[in-house]
Amino acid sequence: MSLAAWVRRARTPAPAPVKREYAFFEPADLFDLEIKDDPEASPVLCCTGDPAGAAAFNALWLKRIATSGRYAAAVSVRGQGGTPAAEGGLEARAHDLVQAAVTVPRQAVLIGHKEGAAWAALAAGRYPTAGLVLVSPRQVPKQPPRPVGAPPVLLVVAESETQSKEAQAVADAYGTAPLTFAGSPDDVFKGAGAEGLLDAILSWLAAGKKD
Amino acid sequence: MQEYSSQAAYDRGEAVCVIGAGASGLIAVKNLRENGFEVDCYERDTVLGGLWNPQNQHSPLYPNTHLVTSRSQTEIPDFPMPDDWPDYPSAAQMLAYLTSYAKHFGLSEHIWYGSEISHVEPVDGSRFEVVVKPAAGNAARRLRYAAVIIATGHHWSPNLPSYPGLDQFRGSVLHSSQLKDPSRLRGKHVLVVGGGNSGADIACEAAVNAASCVHSVRRGSWHLPKYLGGEPSDYALARLASRPKFLRRFLTDRLLKGPAALAARMGVAAEGRPLEEEPVRNGRYMEHVGDGSIQRRGEVARFDGFDVAFADGTEMRPDLVVLATGYRPKFTSVDPKLLGIEGDSPYPKLYARMFSPHKETLAVAGLVEPGVGVLPIVHWQTHAIAHWLLVRKSDPERAANFRVQVRSEAEQDTARPAGSSPRHQLAVDAEQYLASLGRIIDTLEQEPAK
Ligand SMILES: Cc1cc2nc3c(=O)[nH]c(=O)nc-3n(C[C@H](O)[C@H](O)[C@H](O)COP(=O)(O)OP(=O)(O)OC[C@H]3O[C@@H](n4cnc5c(N)ncnc54)[C@H](O)[C@@H]3O)c2cc1C
Ligand SMILES: NC(=O)c1ccc[n+]([C@@H]2O[C@H](COP(=O)([O-])OP(=O)(O)OC[C@H]3O[C@@H](n4cnc5c(N)ncnc54)[C@H](OP(=O)(O)O)[C@@H]3O)[C@@H](O)[C@H]2O)c1
Repeated sequence: MSLAAWVRRARTPAPAPVKREYAFFEPADLFDLEIKDDPEASPVLCCTGDPAGAAAFNALWLKRIATSGRYAAAVSVRGQGGTPAAEGGLEARAHDLVQAAVTVPRQAVLIGHKEGAAWAALAAGRYPTAGLVLVSPRQVPKQPPRPVGAPPVLLVVAESETQSKEAQAVADAYGTAPLTFAGSPDDVFKGAGAEGLLDAILSWLAAGKKD
Repeated sequence: MQEYSSQAAYDRGEAVCVIGAGASGLIAVKNLRENGFEVDCYERDTVLGGLWNPQNQHSPLYPNTHLVTSRSQTEIPDFPMPDDWPDYPSAAQMLAYLTSYAKHFGLSEHIWYGSEISHVEPVDGSRFEVVVKPAAGNAARRLRYAAVIIATGHHWSPNLPSYPGLDQFRGSVLHSSQLKDPSRLRGKHVLVVGGGNSGADIACEAAVNAASCVHSVRRGSWHLPKYLGGEPSDYALARLASRPKFLRRFLTDRLLKGPAALAARMGVAAEGRPLEEEPVRNGRYMEHVGDGSIQRRGEVARFDGFDVAFADGTEMRPDLVVLATGYRPKFTSVDPKLLGIEGDSPYPKLYARMFSPHKETLAVAGLVEPGVGVLPIVHWQTHAIAHWLLVRKSDPERAANFRVQVRSEAEQDTARPAGSSPRHQLAVDAEQYLASLGRIIDTLEQEPAK
């Protein structure tokens, strides 16, 4: 974030606060002696454009991420799931995501799906995320802010999207080549496609672990 | 790290040493780490958070300390405070915030507690040897670093005025930083000396807890309520700063009209343009003056047995005198010359208020009184310092150009009068200083010329 961007934001009315709904899962919640909390591994915070919000990640994602030794959380931004609607567009939702990120015990990886990817992209411009993962992004601004602290960025799109203008634009903006997953961009929360996608993300996270 | 003997200094290579784990030190550690530096931070106390931690032996917190700057103007730019916190968080919330910042970014593992730095000595050109004062029975440790950042704060060495007869005064005298427990005020006739934020806050505490409260100030000061036009005052005023100059003046005057009229009525107004100097930010003070629970007096002339005489000839007999006369910066570990401290003045003269004028790898974080939230300023200072250290390593030519720029920023800075009291040596106009930091950061972040 540039100093000028911060000055502008500090002088703009902040979005009305909402009581946000969270879902989370810690490695200890698995009651599996084999799985230990890995203190070196960054926690993960997920969001999606799907109206279900945080709950969408309950079926598979959170447990699966926790199995890799990471604290896993998801948040519903304003108007999603159990979080009341409130004024504000993209910026306010990015605000919700940043607010969620700072409640995670340690520096978190942000995973955003669909519109959630746009919120994550904006959030990463003002919070030093440990990693930014954009899944089938929608509505990401043409020139997203430069992520604070230069985190690694992963773009994952469905096979059907590889040629889409939107995916290309995001890939160009971050100077990264997209990974692809089998399945539909709307069907990422359960099933074989979702498993493959999660595996790809988790192995990317594991490989990027700083030592 | 193991223990090192007093003889050989342990060389920490390219690592940077940060002195102090208050807000400024924590922000420095986080920003240096984010830019790839190894960091060792030394804290003389056993806790983090500096003056916001009541367990810190030197903490100046007094009863019921709340922020005077509002949440949105005080939070660290890349780590906001929870948005369900009040506009003006308490000291306890401030500590919770700094603690969660440290935890979130894993800062504690880089902090050495109970480790006072007693000496910092330049060695081998741009490096420093740092001496950690020994704990009882141990040998002093010596380590060498590529750079040192001093973040030791400037609110722990009281500025104590001297008055005739003060030494023989028969009542109790405390500096504002020693008050701590509100029960000390209860049932007492209290005299508060000093018209800064501490003085006004403590006078308000005494107004409701003590038997009586007299507040002595040697001159008027600007007073701001905590809200203006339905918004936190600092936010409302900062918003005006982005307007064109002529409009800003007009709108500012309009916003301040009510408070200024009230201050005039209460006889507490200052001379000069509004907010030229750091204002007192307190919403309750005027009410207490208005209902007589705070009685204003002029300067103290002398102490005499149980009595205090004022310059206007009046007298009183206080049980307790609270000297809220501020602080003096004090640098114990480094040769004052390296910070541009000359003669009797305790005030450093740094480039851009942070870089040593003599050593490229020595900097100070947080040594400003910006009249707005300090933490964001320190964030950008340490961002700049970290980038400077990177550029210095990677691109000597750009580094040399940069020094020229910083020197010229420093010259522009001194051209401006900074307020009339010695304490205003550290005062900066937040708007101008941020702009100057912005230029510095832009230069440092430019892509190197190919
Ligand atoms: C009563 C009061 C209220 C304030 N309210 C506000 C406010 O509302 N808003 C705002 O923005 N600012 C406020 N401030 C300003 C405050 O100074 C900053 O908010 C901020 O806390 C400064 O942090 P710091 O780290 O620079 O200094 P400090 O908090 O003083 O920390 C310095 C640290 O360095 C350590 N240290 C010192 N010397 C050595 C040594 N030789 N070796 C090792 N360690 C050492 C100390 O133990 C301490 O932990 C207030 C200040 C006071 C006194
Ligand atoms: N709640 C809060 O958040 C809060 C509370 C307190 C302090 N602070 C901050 O902490 C810093 C220190 O504040 P502070 O109020 O302790 O100190 P300060 O701002 O330095 O004010 C000291 C006051 O004492 C007066 N004074 C100094 N020497 C004197 C003397 N010899 N005789 C008579 N009066 C004398 C000064 O008058 P002159 O102006 O004439 O020099 C001034 O009014 C400031 O940055 C302040 O904003 C914040």
